[in-house]
Amino acid sequence: MTSDDKAIGRVTRCSTRGFVGAVRLPEPEWPVFGTFCRAEAQQGHSQVIGLIYDLSIEDDELARQLAATESLSPEQLADSQVNRQVPVEYRALAVGYRHGERFVQSLPPQPPLTLAPIHRLSDADVRKFTAQLDFLKLVIAVQEIPVDDLLAAALQTAAAARPESERRAYLVEAAAECARLVGRDLTRLESLVRSLRP
Amino acid sequence: MTNKSEMDTYFGERKGETPLGMVVGGSLSSGLLVKLDSRLSIERLAVGRYVVIQGKSGRKFFGLVTDIALDATNPDLVRQPPAPDDAFAAEVYSRQVAYGMLSVSPMLMLDPEDDQPRPNKTVPAHFAPVHEASAEDVERVFGAEDEKHLFLGTPLDMEAVHVNLDLDRFVERSSGVFGKSGTGKSFLTRILLAGIIRAGRASALIFDMHNDYGWAVKEEGGHEVKGLRQLFPGGQVSVVTLDEDTSRSRGSKVDRVLKIGTQQIEPEDVEMLSGLLGLSDVQTGALPFLRRRLGPGWIDRLLSDTPDDELEKMVEDERIVSSTLGAIQRKFEFFRRMGFLVPGAGDDAVDDIFRRLNQGSSVVLEFGRYGNTLAAYILVANYLTRRVHERYVRKMNEAVGKKADEPRPLVIVIEEAHKFLDPAVAGHTVFGNIARELRKYNVTLLIVDQRPSGIDDEVMSQIGTRVTCLLDNEADIRAVFSGVSGAGALREVLARLDTRQQALILGHAVPMPVVVRTRDYDEAFYQWLGATDDAGERKQRAKRGSEALFGE
Repeated sequence: MTSDDKAIGRVTRCSTRGFVGAVRLPEPEWPVFGTFCRAEAQQGHSQVIGLIYDLSIEDDELARQLAATESLSPEQLADSQVNRQVPVEYRALAVGYRHGERFVQSLPPQPPLTLAPIHRLSDADVRKFTAQLDFLKLVIAVQEIPVDDLLAAALQTAAAARPESERRAYLVEAAAECARLVGRDLTRLESLVRSLRP
Repeated sequence: MTNKSEMDTYFGERKGETPLGMVVGGSLSSGLLVKLDSRLSIERLAVGRYVVIQGKSGRKFFGLVTDIALDATNPDLVRQPPAPDDAFAAEVYSRQVAYGMLSVSPMLMLDPEDDQPRPNKTVPAHFAPVHEASAEDVERVFGAEDEKHLFLGTPLDMEAVHVNLDLDRFVERSSGVFGKSGTGKSFLTRILLAGIIRAGRASALIFDMHNDYGWAVKEEGGHEVKGLRQLFPGGQVSVVTLDEDTSRSRGSKVDRVLKIGTQQIEPEDVEMLSGLLGLSDVQTGALPFLRRRLGPGWIDRLLSDTPDDELEKMVEDERIVSSTLGAIQRKFEFFRRMGFLVPGAGDDAVDDIFRRLNQGSSVVLEFGRYGNTLAAYILVANYLTRRVHERYVRKMNEAVGKKADEPRPLVIVIEEAHKFLDPAVAGHTVFGNIARELRKYNVTLLIVDQRPSGIDDEVMSQIGTRVTCLLDNEADIRAVFSGVSGAGALREVLARLDTRQQALILGHAVPMPVVVRTRDYDEAFYQWLGATDDAGERKQRAKRGSEALFGE
């Protein structure tokens, strides 16, 4: 994991359910699916904790024209992938907020403001935030997103932030909580538990 | 407010202890459902264990685990379990989806302001934490061993705890020792009787069918154990035998030989034998008539080979049908084979036995070779019990009229009790009456039986304390629990007792049902009774006596 000093983008759209961040290429470490991030809200009094679940790069006219070109020079390719102003966009699901030193696992009182910087949550904060598993029900309640994949990625991220010796126990506990929440659907639970195997 | 200190004094502190689980449902009649904490292994629990439930109001409940089950939040789990080699999934499922359930029968409750638990009249609230009862908890419920409390055994897995039986309450009502053959009924009965005799709470009249109680008995392993006469050499136990030869050849010390005069036998003594002797209703009905016409020597006259004018006249006058008379005479041939029956008026054996009983001595009646003849056992048990009971009734009535002291409490021990208390005969036999009249005349029964289902329901419902070894016949199990509220839950406990040295005790003499590993009938028990193996000491005493008499 990397430190959380460097911003991984800025908020472009937001609501209390989540926010959209954008970052210009080429960020060396642009976020991945299942990353925990934070963005300031309430004039710096709180930080919304997000779980990144959808990363996208929009096309434009030039990209469509270049894609139709028969041969593309390495310079053209690098220019399009690195120098273009079209940002990488990602969506983050609000799974809690931080107030002072305290993490709360429920929807935040206010969303972050537009262009608020987004930071990756440090390993220490990931451990602290994921010590409780109440955020899982916020994720499971969301429709139209790949919830189970997101749960698996987030919990594997949380396990990876822990010492090797604690990872299995954490995943068992987290999977048991998932079992409590989705136990009625054994097929779904079976798949989820399989993806949480250490 | 909950008085913590008082509660903790009684049931012990619970600080920091992981509960077994929590109450999630149930009722007073059908028992409580307890969801087991997923961190605990269901495999270390067992039916028959005790639990303490901390109610929300501060009230504590004491219960007995009566069943253990596997359950799941999703019933489809039985069709869709995790892959057998997926240890991770199995661990995850067993934390949430799959869990253990305990059925707990609530037995006693303790209010914060009370110092003694009372029978349960309600149930703890939802989600009340359930703890395994500690040894101290169980010990407090069963009280300390003292003069009137007999240590009968230890609860399962609590070897340091003594389950003590209240002997006064045990002899106050009729009691029963039940169990299949070979489950240790006789040992248990011997322990109970030794306890009663030692404590001097009652005299016992023991109809010892198989010579199990009076003198030395061989265990299944061949090891010899002491009988009651050896355990109480100071005269608290007398051995009366019907078969002097067998008693002597067994080395048994006999205090009296019982001979019954045929003139002492009344039609009522024979009535109970009608089934075994094959007497029809007509033949049985003719017996009082014959007794009245022939006088006290009626049996001798019926058995006589010389012609009897009066009998012939009765047939001639058509007072009795010749074939009926002939059948009675043929069937009475049974009496000739009974060596303890002697022609004539007999002696004062009943008065002697009554005197012994009333003076505080217990009487073991050894049947010797007649123990294999059920009709002999029933005849003698019925004969003696009727007469002893009559004397008790008389003496008790005199005591009510302030003319005499109350007779000493008496426990009559009968084996194969279903033969005496069969529904067909229990209504009009002395044994049925004794069981029903409770301690009205200071006489109660201790019935030892392997087929309690053969005993009349009404009699069973009057049995105060039931000590039950393993039973596996459904009808017998049902019979043992007849008249016991909340018995359904205890059935599982009873059906799962070990075949040896385990018993379920419930009823009048214990605060709540308990499964015990019964105490050993061994040297330690003899010592407790004060009857050590004193052969060496006797030799020393004899040597000292000899030296005093004759010099060194």
